[in-house]
Amino acid sequence: MTDADKFLYGDRSGINDPLAQADWASKKLVWIPSEKQGYEAGSLKEEKGDECVVELFVYFFNPLFFFLTDREDQSILCTGESGAGKTENTKKVIQYLAHVASSSKFKKDQGELEKQLLQANPILEAFGNAKTVKNDNSSRFGKFIRINFDVNGYIVGANIETYLLEKSRAIRQAKEERAFHIFYYMLTGAGDKMRSDLCLEDYSKYRFLSNGKVTIPGQTDKELFVETMEAFNIMSIPEEEINGLLKVISAVLQLGNMVFKKERNSDQASMPDDTAAQKVCHLLGINVTDFTRAILSPRIKVGRDYVQKAQTQEQAEFAVEALAKASYERMFRWLVMRINKALDKTKRQGASFIGILDIAGFEIFELNSFEQLCINYTNEKLQQLFNHTMFILEQEEYQREGIEWSFIDFGLDLQPCIDLIEKPNGPPGVLALLDEECWFPKATDKTFVEKLAQEQGTNPKFVKPKKLKDDADFCIIHYAGKVDYKANEWLMKNMDPLNECVATLLNQSTDKFIGDLWRDVDRIVGLDKVAGMADSGPFKTRKGMFRTVGQLYKEQLGNLMTTLRNTNPNFVRCIIPNHEKKAGKLDAHLVLDQLSCNGVLEGIRICRQGFPNRIVFQEFRQRYEILTPNAIPKGFMDGKQACVLMIKALELDPNLYRIGQSKVFFRAGVLAHLEEERDLKITDVIMSFQAWCRGYVARKAFAKRQQQLTAMKVIQRNCAAYLKLRNWKWWRLFTKVKPLLQVSRQEEEMLAKEEELLKVKEKQIQVEEQLKEFEAKQQQLSAEKQALQEQLHAETELCAEAEEMRARLAARKQELEEILHDMESRLEEEEERAEASDGESHHRRQTEENGGRHHSAGRPE
Amino acid sequence: IVVVEFSPDQVEEFRDAFSLFDETPGGEMKISYAQCGDVLRALGHNPTNDEVLKLLGRPKAEEMHASLLDFQAFLPMLQHVARAKEQGNMEDFVEGLRVFDKEGNGTVMGAELRHVLATLGERMTEDEVDRLMAGQEDANGHVNYTEFVKHILAG
Repeated sequence: MTDADKFLYGDRSGINDPLAQADWASKKLVWIPSEKQGYEAGSLKEEKGDECVVELFVYFFNPLFFFLTDREDQSILCTGESGAGKTENTKKVIQYLAHVASSSKFKKDQGELEKQLLQANPILEAFGNAKTVKNDNSSRFGKFIRINFDVNGYIVGANIETYLLEKSRAIRQAKEERAFHIFYYMLTGAGDKMRSDLCLEDYSKYRFLSNGKVTIPGQTDKELFVETMEAFNIMSIPEEEINGLLKVISAVLQLGNMVFKKERNSDQASMPDDTAAQKVCHLLGINVTDFTRAILSPRIKVGRDYVQKAQTQEQAEFAVEALAKASYERMFRWLVMRINKALDKTKRQGASFIGILDIAGFEIFELNSFEQLCINYTNEKLQQLFNHTMFILEQEEYQREGIEWSFIDFGLDLQPCIDLIEKPNGPPGVLALLDEECWFPKATDKTFVEKLAQEQGTNPKFVKPKKLKDDADFCIIHYAGKVDYKANEWLMKNMDPLNECVATLLNQSTDKFIGDLWRDVDRIVGLDKVAGMADSGPFKTRKGMFRTVGQLYKEQLGNLMTTLRNTNPNFVRCIIPNHEKKAGKLDAHLVLDQLSCNGVLEGIRICRQGFPNRIVFQEFRQRYEILTPNAIPKGFMDGKQACVLMIKALELDPNLYRIGQSKVFFRAGVLAHLEEERDLKITDVIMSFQAWCRGYVARKAFAKRQQQLTAMKVIQRNCAAYLKLRNWKWWRLFTKVKPLLQVSRQEEEMLAKEEELLKVKEKQIQVEEQLKEFEAKQQQLSAEKQALQEQLHAETELCAEAEEMRARLAARKQELEEILHDMESRLEEEEERAEASDGESHHRRQTEENGGRHHSAGRPE
Repeated sequence: IVVVEFSPDQVEEFRDAFSLFDETPGGEMKISYAQCGDVLRALGHNPTNDEVLKLLGRPKAEEMHASLLDFQAFLPMLQHVARAKEQGNMEDFVEGLRVFDKEGNGTVMGAELRHVLATLGERMTEDEVDRLMAGQEDANGHVNYTEFVKHILAG
């Protein structure tokens, strides 16, 4: 069996079934064509940038839509191996959200929050991403970005949480790989002043940069340094803090240049040249003497006393490396915290959120270490969430359709493996045992493995060392496959011990930034714990005072899962098409590997356990009725009833199907089988029909032949007759005379002519009548026209008279007005005269009276 | 086994039909293998091509036009076909064509029907299909398949 056959259960003919295809699409799975095998389970997205945008938005529309309608918290979980496109997709999602859900008034100008959100990523990428052989911009940490929305659906803030930063990259890198981008940005892009402030040197001078100056094709570190600085500005991170960050980076590099030698007569380490140490102390604000002593012979608490414990060269080197890693890690954590502060400034209340998880997918290398265990543990839990979700979705549909069945919770399927890793006791899992060993005096990686084999040997997901090839220490069977683990240095990695003395020094640094970074030092696993393991004396271990890497991570992951479980999860599986960083090339085998690693095949397995194919009643009836002739009586029948009858007629095993409210559900392969039968049946019927058709056509052709035969016979007969008569004299006479007999012909002609005449007469009558009609009509219309004209004339006259009358009246009015005017003026004159004469007469009377008195005695009145 | 016996009159009729197909230059009362099916059909039967080939003993492609068959050899084939039970009836065919009735209204697209007959089962030639469908399509290019089947079964 090919891998494809191995991984894909059931009928391969199901591949060509459009129903199966629709089913898969609804479950976010897709078939793609393959040169070799016709169809393969295929990728959801290609690696090339822009195409994936379109696809992502299509899938992203879903959560956003749910979010906007239900206000349910959403999570988008991007998984995939290195280089598959998770980070790119995450960036697109954030860009999209920042654009669409921005609350700034002018959509063109982004709001400050949105701008800062978009700058957060480049900053994190500068400090957390690096070039690997698989990916030029590989994220060396996982992240969960929470974008908070208010009740109206606008962004009010964001929060970023990071996981599993690969801090070892700060001190060494594999061939052709780089350390974190920021190292190169800084070393290439820093100006002269910065170079002297930060004690920067040439690439080749740094031991921690394993491959010296490595560039990435298509990128200039110098420009990117400028961009990163700008991003800091947009995030309003002040210059002192930026300086602090760069100082730490320079210090980390310088730590690598500290060279230790073994003193001649003892194991004590010595540091002949302290130039590097000087620079470190200058950058970190601590005293070089204190620092040197802390490294070479630190003061360690033994019981209740303190002793100076001499460090060997290896121990000193180890301590310095641990210090470098811890510094980088703390700086990174500080950076995340600082970004979160900037992104959470608004006072508005967040009502719900969309979270985006971008984390490395399942990792299987030849030999795997503690880091891989953590990643795989994470993915196992995420897969559990995925399975559980699928189980819920399936079950919901079955419930909706009211079909009866019992289903295993496939989320629980993965519990044994998860227990193997995280269970605290009864029996304790890998992490718990590792922690335990970290407390034990004289414990080693080997004793850890032995204990693990003892406690978990019977666990079906655990494979003991004896059965494996020599290199691996044990093996865990994850959902994606068997993984070989090598337990080298696990105790160290879990404890992650640090030189307490140095830590204290840093805590008290004169540089505020450094002091802040090292503010909490009480949870550090000191070197004394580590030392206590090698020595024979009894040492009181301070149990519970510090936390191991395993513990911390388990807690972090637990919190993440709780958050995710309370959201509506949307799974985005990113698939890398080839390992050559080439566009357009698809390596089928590689893709199939990933599909098993990312749980898509698991998901398929789950679906196939149920009733993966479903078809609505009407369609089922229409399509398969041909297989059950006469099962359904003529006339209208309810779709569901029809299907029931059909299924009975097909004699299907009741376990192979379920009848719901609107659909019939089938187990994997059943429909494919029906399809085959249908094809056969149709072909059968068509063939029979074609036989009849051929028969029909052949018979018609035959009939024609017979006609031809008959016709031929007639012609032959006539020819024979003719040949016989041709030379018979009477016949020849007859044929000569016949045409001369005009009489019969003339009669015929007369008849014909009479008929013609009749016809013509009829026609003429018709035409005459028509003509009369038209004439009458025309007269009528003429009369009407005349009447109307007279009317018009009369009206016109009336109008003219009226006009005359009006004119006269107007003239008269004018006259009268003039008379009136005259009258009025005369009246005025009269009135004036009257007044005047009145006054005169009065005056006269007065004077008369006066004079009269004089005269009145003499004259009787 | 039921042996169908033909009356002498019938045999005469068959012989007449047979001779109509004889294209040999000397009138030898022989037909080619390729014509066998047509003669059987002309006489009112409806064998599939496969059945005809079986009767002829699964000849190779070259033999179909080269080899000849005389009446005596032909007669038993006719008997065999006459005995065979009718494959399919009106209902089966209507059901079969109903599969292509996308709208469920009793008609199929003439073009689709042509396509089916020419690409499924024992493919028919374009010429045969044309003769078959002559006058069957309505103004919109649809064919009422029930009527069509009736028409075919009647001819």
